[in-house]
Amino acid sequence: MADRTLGLARWVLAGVAVTVAVVFLLHQRQGDIDVSYGQSPSSDYEEGDAGELSGHSAPSTAEMVRRVQAEPVVRLPGSNATWHRRWLREHVGIDGVRLLFAPPGLDEQDTERVRDVAEDPAIVDAPFELVTVTGTKVRSGVYTAVPDDVDGFQRQFAAGDVTGLLAAVITGMRDEGDPPAAPRVAWREPTTAEVDAVAADLERDGVHVAEGATLSDVPGNASNAFPDTEPLVVALPRQDTALPRQDGASPRQDTALPRQDTGRPVPDYAPALADRFPDTPVVVVYGSYIDYAGPHRDEFYEVATAGVYGMLGDRLGRYDYPQDNVLFAWLNKVTDIRYAGLFDRPLPYQPFDPLQVTMPALPFVFAGCVLGFVVLSVTALRRRPSHGRPPTVRLAALSALSVEVSGLTTETGNPSLTRAITHLDAAKELDCSLVATRNAHKLLDKAEEELSETARLIGRRDYEPRRYVMGWEPSSQAGECGRR
Amino acid sequence: MTWTIWLIGALVLISAGVASAYLPRLRAHADRKRAAWATATAAIAAAGVSRDACTADVPEARRLLAEAEALSGGPAAARVATELAERADPLWREARDG
Repeated sequence: MADRTLGLARWVLAGVAVTVAVVFLLHQRQGDIDVSYGQSPSSDYEEGDAGELSGHSAPSTAEMVRRVQAEPVVRLPGSNATWHRRWLREHVGIDGVRLLFAPPGLDEQDTERVRDVAEDPAIVDAPFELVTVTGTKVRSGVYTAVPDDVDGFQRQFAAGDVTGLLAAVITGMRDEGDPPAAPRVAWREPTTAEVDAVAADLERDGVHVAEGATLSDVPGNASNAFPDTEPLVVALPRQDTALPRQDGASPRQDTALPRQDTGRPVPDYAPALADRFPDTPVVVVYGSYIDYAGPHRDEFYEVATAGVYGMLGDRLGRYDYPQDNVLFAWLNKVTDIRYAGLFDRPLPYQPFDPLQVTMPALPFVFAGCVLGFVVLSVTALRRRPSHGRPPTVRLAALSALSVEVSGLTTETGNPSLTRAITHLDAAKELDCSLVATRNAHKLLDKAEEELSETARLIGRRDYEPRRYVMGWEPSSQAGECGRR
Repeated sequence: MTWTIWLIGALVLISAGVASAYLPRLRAHADRKRAAWATATAAIAAAGVSRDACTADVPEARRLLAEAEALSGGPAAARVATELAERADPLWREARDG
């Protein structure tokens, strides 16, 4: 029984090894991979394709140099960055600093011209430092400043306020350490009338584009970023936070104002609309800045916003991108974060493919099967088959009979007895293999025949071998047929 | 380097298969031969006993037995020898009894 099981296991192992080898060979791919490294389907991008140029232009470099030398603050036509002159003067000091404000979205040549102003020998040798502000990108010599928190993004992209960036660049040039914190954008709750006007549009179209905003439509990837509920989008133009009349005849006295001048507050639509439309994502775009209120805000908003402005802030500041592009980029980032499993999404389940998983292990499975097959084969070969009942008992009984009879035989019975003993001797010589056992039984048959003749010749029916063997009991049970 | 595992494994598998098929065959053949010759030897010896017990000379039986004793070879030869000896044996018995 165990023999059969072992034999079966041996051939099963061989079969498995062959199957595994075949499966492995069939799954090898060699040379049929079509890869081209020279045919990227990307299209070349040309400046202005995304609508980032504003159409403004800059005067010639010499003209700008002349104006910078003439006055401390030069604003080219179209420049829209705002700054708190008084705050900057009080907290940083702008002595020896001249500012050149250029419009955003200049084309390459105009950008070049504005850059050349700072490198003009007349400016380099001048007793002042020139700070260039292109759009809201602030730069002076090797120094540029970028915001690094939500307050800074709001200042630069929602209000176009570069006060903090100017402070950073100026303190950087003077090695004065950390710049003072610039005033934040102030928020106020919108009035009911304001919210009603926006909410009416949202209920009808799902989108509200205010006067002066550049959003044309909700980008198509909004459904990727917010697959459950269609987001409500409000687009507002860049917010003017400048106080009326910053310098000179301000209606408020310096002493009456708090040190941290916050400017004109901006209506904070997102929370108000989120109250009006519960469980609905509300996206509010102020200029190039995107605010959000709704589900999962804590989980993705800051990451997405910091990601977008950290990566694109430089271009967003220098160029005049439509709000569609900014919103598209932000929604893409939200989609990325959502699909990365950071919020509101279970990790994608990879179905278990046993073939793919076991493929690397197949050579070792194969080797194991071969090893098992070999071990079992060797075991099977070392173990000699011992089928059939060994003739030991019969041999012993007939030998005993021949000894008993030998004393009784006469001359007539002697030959048959001798022949029987010859056959018994031959049977004794045989070992335990299957063939040998069968032959031994044949020889014993012959010996039995001769012994029965002997019994007949001596006239003793009780020495008939068949009866004698039946009645014969070995004094001690013959052992296993061992190897000789 | 994995391919060497496949090569060595395939070689080992084939040689193991050949060996495991061939060795038992050889061994069984040897067993059969030994058993057949044991039977033949026993038959020849039995015939010899009958010859010794017979006083008369039976040339036919003597020729058969000599032929049987002269044979050698595989199991087939052993079977022929057994047959010859078993044909010689009754001739001597008849000569003795008769």
